[in-house]
Amino acid sequence: MKDNLEGRKLVDQMDVKFKARDVQVFYGESQAIKDVNVDILDKTVTAFIGPSGCGKTTFLRCLNRMNDTIPICRVEGDIRLDDEDIYAPEVDPVQLRARVGMVFQKPNPFPKSIYDNIAYGPRIHGLARNKSDLDDIVEDSLRRGALWDEVKDRLGEPGTGLSGGQQQRLCIARAVATAPEVLLMDEPCSALDPIATAQVEELIDELKQNFSVVIVTHSMQQAARVSQKTAFFHLGNLVEYGDTDHIFTNPVDPRTESYITGRIG
Amino acid sequence: MSPLWLLIIILVLAIAGFVLGRARALASVDDHRELHSRPTYYGINVAMLAFVPAALVLGAWMLVQPLVINVMVSGMIPEDSYADAGALSLIMSDVRRVADGLDLAVSAGAMTEAEAGSISTEETDIRARLGEVGVALGSNVEPAVLAAAQRYRHLAKTGRAIMSGVVVLIAGAGFFIAYRQTNGQFRARNRVEAGILWLLIAAATVAVLTTLGIFLSLLFNTIEFFRLYPALDFFTRLEWAPSFSGRGGASALGILPLLWGTFYISLIALLVAVPIGLFSAVYLSEYASATVRAVAKPLLEVLAGIPTIVYGLFALLTVGPLLVSVFGEGGLLGVGWMQGGTAVMTAGLVMGIMLIPFVSSLSDDIINAVPQAMRDGSYGLGATQSETVRKVILPAALPGIVGAILLAASRAIGETMIVVLGAGAAARMSLNPFEAMTTVTAKIVSQLTGDADFASPEALVAFALGMTLFVITLGLNILALYIVRKYREQYE
Repeated sequence: MKDNLEGRKLVDQMDVKFKARDVQVFYGESQAIKDVNVDILDKTVTAFIGPSGCGKTTFLRCLNRMNDTIPICRVEGDIRLDDEDIYAPEVDPVQLRARVGMVFQKPNPFPKSIYDNIAYGPRIHGLARNKSDLDDIVEDSLRRGALWDEVKDRLGEPGTGLSGGQQQRLCIARAVATAPEVLLMDEPCSALDPIATAQVEELIDELKQNFSVVIVTHSMQQAARVSQKTAFFHLGNLVEYGDTDHIFTNPVDPRTESYITGRIG
Repeated sequence: MSPLWLLIIILVLAIAGFVLGRARALASVDDHRELHSRPTYYGINVAMLAFVPAALVLGAWMLVQPLVINVMVSGMIPEDSYADAGALSLIMSDVRRVADGLDLAVSAGAMTEAEAGSISTEETDIRARLGEVGVALGSNVEPAVLAAAQRYRHLAKTGRAIMSGVVVLIAGAGFFIAYRQTNGQFRARNRVEAGILWLLIAAATVAVLTTLGIFLSLLFNTIEFFRLYPALDFFTRLEWAPSFSGRGGASALGILPLLWGTFYISLIALLVAVPIGLFSAVYLSEYASATVRAVAKPLLEVLAGIPTIVYGLFALLTVGPLLVSVFGEGGLLGVGWMQGGTAVMTAGLVMGIMLIPFVSSLSDDIINAVPQAMRDGSYGLGATQSETVRKVILPAALPGIVGAILLAASRAIGETMIVVLGAGAAARMSLNPFEAMTTVTAKIVSQLTGDADFASPEALVAFALGMTLFVITLGLNILALYIVRKYREQYE
């Protein structure tokens, strides 16, 4: 049995957003990701599952070059967004991150007002022509973040004053406001209670109409609920990638089956 | 017995108590797991009870004994030989010096103990005899002073003997009581913990009481000054012209020109220190690689270790002449704004350099305290590094940075040596930063180091100046602490 499957065989070529080939990631001397090949589809929710330390977050952070902010981290291989190499020297990571938004594990609203939190991205990228334009973007983003009705009367209040679930939805709305093409989510519900988790999951389901969503999760139920494609990582290898239904009901690799049934993890 | 020997004795007793107490606790049970506390606690408990009360009594006795003896002996000085309390205290210090001289003579073997007790002014030239052993006296010894000195020696000796007895007794009693208590059920750990608590409380109290003491020592002299000089004049007069006693004439002691100089110099210092310090903090915490940071940060902090008098020399010898060569008469710019090397600008620039590590080090800590999640959030939205710094990190860190700046400001206001050497001595209210001015601190130095009578308003004004500065910097510090504390609440 090979450690890595050939992702391209399992995925048809329609609407591929990210194409990763032979990706290796090193932290100093130790290798965190080995030969990962994967195609991530547009307007689809892709879930990365696997035990802790298997490299799923590391791989996620390769997709918008957030690993650049870690000095000892080195990425090799080929990652293409719409067939453009995102690690090519002429690519500016700042522009890339405007196209590939990210939501983090812990809600991290800026210590600013709710309005300024959402308007942050549009302002630095000059997306709004005037104040009313910006107001529209803020309202639209908050609606898409399923937060508008709760905060529309207090947009001037600090974002840090919201509850945990509201803060995470604020962060999602903030990422949506810059109009990205792909949304990366790193365990977005791990700090949330079940009700807030349900709200965020519902939101992810709506977001897939406009974006490609990649979500890292520890909860297999969550992966099964929200995603159409699932990738199982183990010890830095992409073990299995395919339709979520298929992976959960009929895994090919014995390691996937062991993880899903709770024997490794 | 000398206090040092006493201390050694109770220390030895304490060490013995530690060993014996520990052994007794261990012997009282079959298995040392049955002990209520770890064996060491039993040892510490005995040592503590042997040492602490005895040491406290020793310290208190040594403080009180001279005062008591002073009162007892001063009654022997005839009342017609001194005019007021000040003169009496001068005579009493003579008494102590003669007594010390006699002690020294006895210990050097130049006099027997009996001789020292019975010697009298009629038969011997005390001054010459004491001169032989190296004790210089200002004048011939009066009979009353000699008698007082002999009585002083006698009382001191008796007092010390009683003290030795009492201290050793207390140490022994403490040792004995704690030793008797020691057995497997005794809660030694709780008592030792309580002892540690009191030790910590005592340390904190010393710090607080010292602040209070400094405040009070300023307060009484300040009140004395305002009795001699109207407070309204002091706070509102625009003129500083002390006249020293002897030359006659009333002094003009208005604080405003000095405060103006203080604030002007501090302002220039902050204008230098805040941008440079803040930018270097941003560079060090956000941009610099770990290697650069490891080298640059300690180097920057070396600036904080330079004594301020060295900065003063730098101002006087380098910065002042340099500024004159640019802004002075016939200088590079030919403007002739600057008459001499000492000026507000000279002191302000150098003080600014001194404050850079203050601002940068504090700001660096505060910027580092901004959670990494904030940076990730901003980068994740496609912000550049400088956008992240300007729009997320600095606003998040702002209250803390303001606190750091206020702390630097109170340092600047209290700074003395740089202004003494760099700013000049003329009290003046002018807007020209190239003119010499002076500050509150520099004037405190000059008022107290002159030869003015200590009871005159010209000398006492130093305390009023010090008090004013104390209140201003205290206010600034409280404001800074308030802001910093508010900042902390933001991340809860």
